[in-house]
Amino acid sequence: MPDTIARAGAGSAAQLILELLPEPVLLVRGGEGETPEIAYANQAARDVFRLELTGAPLGAALRRPGVLEAIEAALATSTSTEVAFETIGVQPRFWRAFARPLETELGQLNELVVVLRDETDARRTERMRADFLANASHELRTPLASLAGFIETLRTHAKDDPEARDKFLGIMAQQANRMARLVDDLLSLSRIELNEHIAPSGKVDLARTIQDVSDAIRPLTAEREVKIAVKADANAGSVTGDRDQLVQVIQNLVDNAVKYTPRGGNVRIDLEFAATLEAARASSRSGVSLSLLSPDAGDGQSYVVLRVSDFGQGIARQHLPRLSERFYRVEGQRSGGTGLGLAIVKHIINRHRGGLTVESAEGEGTTFSVYLPRVVPQA
Amino acid sequence: MTRSLAAELRQLTAEVIRMGGLAEAQVVDAVDAVVRRDVPLAQALIIRDLRLDTMQSEVERRALALIGRHHPGEADLRRAISTLKLAMNLERCGDLARNIAKRSLVLSAGEPLLPLTGAIERLGRLVSSRLREVLDAYSAGDVEPALDVWRRDGEVDEHYESLFRELLSMMSTYPDSVAAGAHLLFVAKNLERIGDHATNIAEILHFQMTGEELVGERPKISFQAPQVEAASS
Repeated sequence: MPDTIARAGAGSAAQLILELLPEPVLLVRGGEGETPEIAYANQAARDVFRLELTGAPLGAALRRPGVLEAIEAALATSTSTEVAFETIGVQPRFWRAFARPLETELGQLNELVVVLRDETDARRTERMRADFLANASHELRTPLASLAGFIETLRTHAKDDPEARDKFLGIMAQQANRMARLVDDLLSLSRIELNEHIAPSGKVDLARTIQDVSDAIRPLTAEREVKIAVKADANAGSVTGDRDQLVQVIQNLVDNAVKYTPRGGNVRIDLEFAATLEAARASSRSGVSLSLLSPDAGDGQSYVVLRVSDFGQGIARQHLPRLSERFYRVEGQRSGGTGLGLAIVKHIINRHRGGLTVESAEGEGTTFSVYLPRVVPQA
Repeated sequence: MTRSLAAELRQLTAEVIRMGGLAEAQVVDAVDAVVRRDVPLAQALIIRDLRLDTMQSEVERRALALIGRHHPGEADLRRAISTLKLAMNLERCGDLARNIAKRSLVLSAGEPLLPLTGAIERLGRLVSSRLREVLDAYSAGDVEPALDVWRRDGEVDEHYESLFRELLSMMSTYPDSVAAGAHLLFVAKNLERIGDHATNIAEILHFQMTGEELVGERPKISFQAPQVEAASS
């Protein structure tokens, strides 16, 4: 154990406390002309940075220019400092680093304790609120304008025309419905984004979940005479996840597949095991394949892959990268959806540290593949 | 007093990681400058680019001095040479980011092009992630995440192609947007080039750690099954 901790007298108890703290803590050591090095990092730090930190240069953990410079300056002058920064990535996080110097004897290298505080929650809430307002106002404008138009017409030209009144009231009801669904989806998306940086901890049996969703949408599939065929590998296993959210994912993907399937057609759902991230991402059929979301690679993590395939007209290559964009609609397609289905799917999968791939060939349909971290069965 | 080879290599590596952090931040800021029309951010970025040039010269100087002084063996020589290659790639990323920032100044002076901003932001985030992943791999001395970036090289191209097509479509539909559209084409191209540099860095790291080149065509289009073979390890 670093002699600094031993010297404090508390010995192994102090180290235990440090190891149990949820905040990442680093002990940085350096001096004149010496590259600052990490002398000690607690468990939380090792988890966040996912590298062997002891003996590594300070930059290996914190290379954001502003932070690195601030901490190096604090180390060189043995002063305290505080600096906020953001880490880029699939899960961006907001941090605040607090650095405090330790007393050192003459001739010894300077030492600095750096504690990192996760401020992601507070920052995300701000951003989510702003985004929600922007999205909502933009997309609600059209149905609102339409409603206003019909109301105006009913008050004037169509005032005494019962046939027109019935027809217009029908359309107005549809628009109001559309707005309601839109608001629901926007709220849903906001809620998901708020917790996106917190990984789920439940265990979900996807085979059963697929069955539940299949049963629940029977009225829709019966009405369109679309058949759903499920092929689940019994050994695929369970995933770490939030069941309600995964139901939503399967539901949105199957809804889309059914919408783009001609009457009397088929939708197929497959459930497979993938030993590695690469296997999970591999092509499963002919056509162009594009990854819409990729998780950070985890050592030796295996995945369960869920594929939803339709055999409709397929999606042209240029549309693929934008599919999960909010309100993006492929020209000429009027499915009556809110335009948020795939965005919701993507954010849920992101929260689950999984990935999403789309494969499509024109005239041969489309396959969406979701892969989620598998729970390793206890031996 | 000459320091040990190990200590000097550590310091050289730390310098490259520091350069990496700066280049990474420049790329993120450049995209933000375009998307948010942030003029002060763009201006600060352009000034800060000079530091990357200085740092590259410094890395070259140190690496050459190290090789001259210590005559390192095979593995250490690869490490030292890699710092030179990395510094060059990172300096180029900085140049591309500075170019994007300059164009953002022109774009900020005109009308916002809302639908395209989302696509630029997405390409920007994708490319920044790639750069971050290879730099993380270099810091950790772990070649796997770098290989992962190498295999996904085609993804950046797909997003770039899609954005390119949209820009062309926008410019042909709205002739008034041609000037701004032209700048955005360059911004998109620069981002795609930064993505290429990230893939270069992955290849450099692989060579440093295994002594072998990454064999085969970079996977460009996903349905041509990628050949990833390191020629015997």
